[in-house]
Amino acid sequence: MNKKDNFVKGLIKENPLFVSLLGMCPSLAVTTSLENAIGMTLGVFFVLVLSNLIISLIMNNKKLAELVKPVRIPVYIVVIATLVTIVEMVMHAYLPSLYFSLGVFIPLIVVNCIILGRAEAFASENKPVDSLIDGAGMALGYGAAIMLISIFREFLGKGTLTIWGDLQINLAFIFNFLKIEPIAMFVQPVGAFLTFGLILAAITAISNNYQNKLAKEVKNNG
Amino acid sequence: MNKGLVSGLVLLSLGLLCGILLSVVNHFTAPKIKEVEDAIKYEALSGFYTLADYDISEVEGTGDFGTIFILNAKGTEDIQAIVYTVRAQGYSDSQKVEMLIAVNSDLSVENYQVVSHSETTGFGADIVDNDFNVLKIDDLSGFDAVAGVTKTSNAIKACFTLVSERIAADLGGGLSE
Repeated sequence: MNKKDNFVKGLIKENPLFVSLLGMCPSLAVTTSLENAIGMTLGVFFVLVLSNLIISLIMNNKKLAELVKPVRIPVYIVVIATLVTIVEMVMHAYLPSLYFSLGVFIPLIVVNCIILGRAEAFASENKPVDSLIDGAGMALGYGAAIMLISIFREFLGKGTLTIWGDLQINLAFIFNFLKIEPIAMFVQPVGAFLTFGLILAAITAISNNYQNKLAKEVKNNG
Repeated sequence: MNKGLVSGLVLLSLGLLCGILLSVVNHFTAPKIKEVEDAIKYEALSGFYTLADYDISEVEGTGDFGTIFILNAKGTEDIQAIVYTVRAQGYSDSQKVEMLIAVNSDLSVENYQVVSHSETTGFGADIVDNDFNVLKIDDLSGFDAVAGVTKTSNAIKACFTLVSERIAADLGGGLSE
């Protein structure tokens, strides 16, 4: 697999949220606003890229890898937890509103299956540069997925899109035009599952359509 | 040497290395975090009282108490109110619930605010906005918890209890001793 494919696979083909269905719990909880999703993406990007790089560096050193192998999962957790704690401290100091908004889901990045999954499945068996690229692709794929969910949820639930701080797009005129109120249910947990399910259904339909088309072409070409 | 022991030592070394790294990061972020928390506290304090009407002094609390603000009538030694920063164990082991509780000299509760908690956004908003029905600090019988947020509600009640246990002594001059 070349570097470009390695990067792109996390965005679409192996998207951690929409394809592998990993890390769903925090993803559904924080997607009440686009700002939260962007903040979570930044945190996960930092942790995933660096944890992949560090773990790959450790496991590519033959002598060290032999010593670490029996305790590799605790080693991964120590590395990931350290990075998450750094994210938590920096966010608390410099982005307090985002820190309070994301709440318990920042420290919970430690147990996000995507990060531990990539460490065990990819970083431990591949070169540092490839692991770094894989981490970046997966983090961006995860970020794109939660941002997509949050756009739907915030727009339908509040009629706004909060990009960062006071930078907010007010789309209430659409609801005014339709003479309805924003559907508050979409910023509640039920709205998270509903949005996620509908997006998954759409993705599955598109994917099935594409595969049927491909099968027909193969059949026609003999 | 035993292979398992060596692996354990490697893990220990990594843990120490990470600990050092975190202490370095903490060295830079801790003052800024204190600044952020102080700003939140003073903002809350200004919502409780007109600060210009009082001489305010601060005492650093011990144990579960953080900064204690003593509000004296302008130019006098009369304590008009005390605002406590108090913490109690809530939902998360790593983060305690922190509250500001403002008590007047007649033991009436002027106001209170949850400064930090570890609840999710929805439950967090319920906790921050809730009226816990505490009018007098020496009478917590009417305390109203938030349904579904038991641990944090208990922590908030514990905060009020901690204040009620010491308020009489503090109003009697205990804080200046």
